[in-house]
Amino acid sequence: MSSSMNSSIIPQLVRKDFLIMRKTILIFCLVSLVSIGILSVLFGRIPNWVLVNIAFIFLLAPAVTCGIVLLMKTIVFEKEKSTQLFIMSLPVTAKQLTLSKLLLNIPIFGAFWLAVSAVAFYFSFGLGVFPKGTVPFITIVFLGVFVAYTCILSVSLIFQSMPMSVLSIMIFELGTSAYLWAIVFLEPIQKHIYGSIMVWNSTAITIVVTQIVVAISILLMTLYIQSKKRSFI
Amino acid sequence: MSMPLAIECEGISKHYPHFQLQDVNLSFEQGTVMGLVGPNGAGKSTILRIVMGLIGPDSGSIKVLGHAMPKDQLAAKRNIGFVAEDMRLYETETMAFHMEFIKSIFSSWDDEYAKTLLRRFDLNKDQKVKGMSHGQRVKATLLLALARRPNLLVLDEPTTGLDPSVRKEVLDEMMNALADETHSILFSSHNTLDIEQISDYITFIYGGRVIESRNKEDFMDGWRRLRLTNMQNNPLPHLPNIKEVQQSGRLCSLTVNNYEDSIAEQCVNAGLQINNIEHLTLEEIFLANVASAKVNSNKGVAL
Repeated sequence: MSSSMNSSIIPQLVRKDFLIMRKTILIFCLVSLVSIGILSVLFGRIPNWVLVNIAFIFLLAPAVTCGIVLLMKTIVFEKEKSTQLFIMSLPVTAKQLTLSKLLLNIPIFGAFWLAVSAVAFYFSFGLGVFPKGTVPFITIVFLGVFVAYTCILSVSLIFQSMPMSVLSIMIFELGTSAYLWAIVFLEPIQKHIYGSIMVWNSTAITIVVTQIVVAISILLMTLYIQSKKRSFI
Repeated sequence: MSMPLAIECEGISKHYPHFQLQDVNLSFEQGTVMGLVGPNGAGKSTILRIVMGLIGPDSGSIKVLGHAMPKDQLAAKRNIGFVAEDMRLYETETMAFHMEFIKSIFSSWDDEYAKTLLRRFDLNKDQKVKGMSHGQRVKATLLLALARRPNLLVLDEPTTGLDPSVRKEVLDEMMNALADETHSILFSSHNTLDIEQISDYITFIYGGRVIESRNKEDFMDGWRRLRLTNMQNNPLPHLPNIKEVQQSGRLCSLTVNNYEDSIAEQCVNAGLQINNIEHLTLEEIFLANVASAKVNSNKGVAL
């Protein structure tokens, strides 16, 4: 009897990784919900600027940690624990496997990132903690976090090495802070940051578009590099 | 009419900083079993991984079930079941999880056969992989490969580290997998007993090279050991077939490849008395081959 394969294996690979990681994802969802609950309780009881600072930590920490844990377990550990040999023995190419990892990691981190961004925007602007002029900067901050994540994801996929992933996390953690300080001191950004009107000038738009282009380029480049690899175990 | 080839490797080479696979030629027909024998580090795993499309060769061509590798690996791997000694399943998940996963990929998955194998291998489908012994893990990966009913099984050291009873179970099931003449097995081992038991063709690998590749009968028939007495200490005849010479006083033994009756005649003509002509076990043949390869390698002679 000739062996045959169901139409596409990528959805099966994504589903497999999701099922393996479902408890971890659930735990981080619960942590995020608890964080939002704590922030809601604290609202009105502590100064708003303190609340916003706490909110950034409470919301970003579980989102970023979830993203890192997910990529470590589904990408780096897959190689280190030799489960990749099992997966690569199936009818899948290196490019398809990479695509399956992107299709799992990006939507999950993306969902956390969007939720955190939405909550942060609500606390910052919906409740009037920050002036509207800060919107472009906060947008750049959150997009910067997403770009840093795509870089770490890319390094993890290409090298599948714990030291390289940890090094990239450290570099991008420090680099993101430095980058955001550099942005805040850009004159076209700085001069509107305390204004009551949201100003999307050419500098702000260029930075946002560049961040989006960089994130997409990094992901496409990762797919290309992975598809050119001649040894994938 | 001859059967189509299951695997056809021509001149494959792969260079690593401390190891080189050189000009490997390997082929066998569908419906047969090819055993790769070699010491640790000989290049067996590299060959199998190149065959699976997991490693790209630096040169040479590979066809598996008629598909060029690694270019057509998707089509080829649909019909290959691969098990390697260092392959691991997901430790936090159960056997049932893995069975469902493979079933979702292969429409050829045979539920009844999978259940039969679970019983035969004494595996519990609700047990997590992290609680399994080494033998259970090997049987679990073999089950996942067999129950999808592949046309070709590629097994890298499947019996390494297994106790004799589990080894027998694994070998028996490998033989059962050869249900008809379209199913083939390529497997590697440094255990010559396993290879001798189930292989139709045998290939010896040493130092990244194929040193001999033939069907089992030719191997077993071609190699002989001549037990001689050399009363007058006469010089031994110089024959290319003599692979190993051992002397102890007047007693002498010659290990010979491609044995012909004329070899015994030449020994007699050289003044030697033949006491016995023995067949060799596969292990002895392998050791003689490796010894010969080492000598040639030290002399810088192309193997």
